[in-house]
Amino acid sequence: MNYDRPELLDRLAAEYVFGTLTGLARRRFERLRRALPAADAAAREWETRLIPLSMPVPPVAPSPSVWNAVDRRTGGVRHVTARGWWSWWQPVAALAVGVIATLGLVRMFPASVVPIDEIVQDRGSLPQSYVGLLTDAAGAPAVLASSTRHGKVMTIKVLKPIDVPAGKVLQMWALPREGAPFPIGVIPARDKGAFTMSGTSEQLLSNVPRLAVSIEDAPAAPGATPGPFILTGHCVKLW
Amino acid sequence: MASDVAQLSGWLAKTALGDRSAFRRLYDATAPSLLGVALRILKRRDRAEDVLQEAFVNVWHNAGRYSAAASQPLTWLTAIVRNKALDALRGEARHAADPLEDESGKTHDVEDERPNPLGLLEAAVDRLRVRDCLAEIKGPQRQCLALAYYNGLSHSELAAHLGAPIGSVKVWIRRGLEKLKRCLDAP
Repeated sequence: MNYDRPELLDRLAAEYVFGTLTGLARRRFERLRRALPAADAAAREWETRLIPLSMPVPPVAPSPSVWNAVDRRTGGVRHVTARGWWSWWQPVAALAVGVIATLGLVRMFPASVVPIDEIVQDRGSLPQSYVGLLTDAAGAPAVLASSTRHGKVMTIKVLKPIDVPAGKVLQMWALPREGAPFPIGVIPARDKGAFTMSGTSEQLLSNVPRLAVSIEDAPAAPGATPGPFILTGHCVKLW
Repeated sequence: MASDVAQLSGWLAKTALGDRSAFRRLYDATAPSLLGVALRILKRRDRAEDVLQEAFVNVWHNAGRYSAAASQPLTWLTAIVRNKALDALRGEARHAADPLEDESGKTHDVEDERPNPLGLLEAAVDRLRVRDCLAEIKGPQRQCLALAYYNGLSHSELAAHLGAPIGSVKVWIRRGLEKLKRCLDAP
């Protein structure tokens, strides 16, 4: 076949995109498309021309298993395979380091963790609280988050100022043991701050082992998917 | 959901750089319409979801090949899904006598759940430009185009379905596409 004839190429591209080019002829055109830019261009033109025909096809929500399979096959989820004993200890060790670091910081900056320091004075110990210490990619402590067990206010102390592009916000997320991350509030880029959560710490965080922060265009709505996390850390119960 | 072109292009570009969160957003924004397209052709949800899965694995590895200059993101993604669905459909046709029959031998009467292809063509007609162009195509030629595009029927299947000689089917399709092109490309 003489593929130099543009009208022939165009006709093949049309039937290929439309779907009526079948069998060996279809495979041949696919090879041709990879080898000959003019063939690829003709196919792209037809794809663009015919896309309005696909627009009225009703959307169908895929089962969650589709994304899970895609995620696994593209390396998003690490496989739990037979590994050395050390690999089993890694998360435990990481958690222990996180807890020790958190407690250390809580002792160093108790006032920032629990704003009600009078109570601390009176009782001689910290009240029951949820505490999170978030670190940056380099592992440096960046944000301390704390809230009393039955309170709705999350107090934030930024230990290391965060660069936020103009017009963006720093969104804090709770990463539950099971299920998708959910947004809990927006934090400041420096110094101190606080936000009110939609429920008490006990309601929201009792099954949340980790917290994270991402940069978003606007405060995230419930059900939103987070952007890349710039800070993550353990969330622990302080009692 | 009105995911605009710039947003989808941005997610595709980030996906090419290995950004998993952008990949997830791209998936969330486009997977339902893409599954709709695959389901039209394959009729069975499990097969359509397999195609969707293959398509997105493919997208993860080949996002770098997407060229914003050549086509819009959804056009590019739809083409990937359509091609995989058509291949899956024809692979099935070769392996199974009746692609609508499952392992237990029960016939799935899923055809009724789908809007008929002509109905979809009419819906597409509502989109301004295509409306004027498709209006010129009538009768069996119109039905032929709808069945080929939406149900993935081949020339011989169309001939059997419409009870028309295969030669006529080929001419209807070719002339139909020529007509569409002339009309859609007109300034």
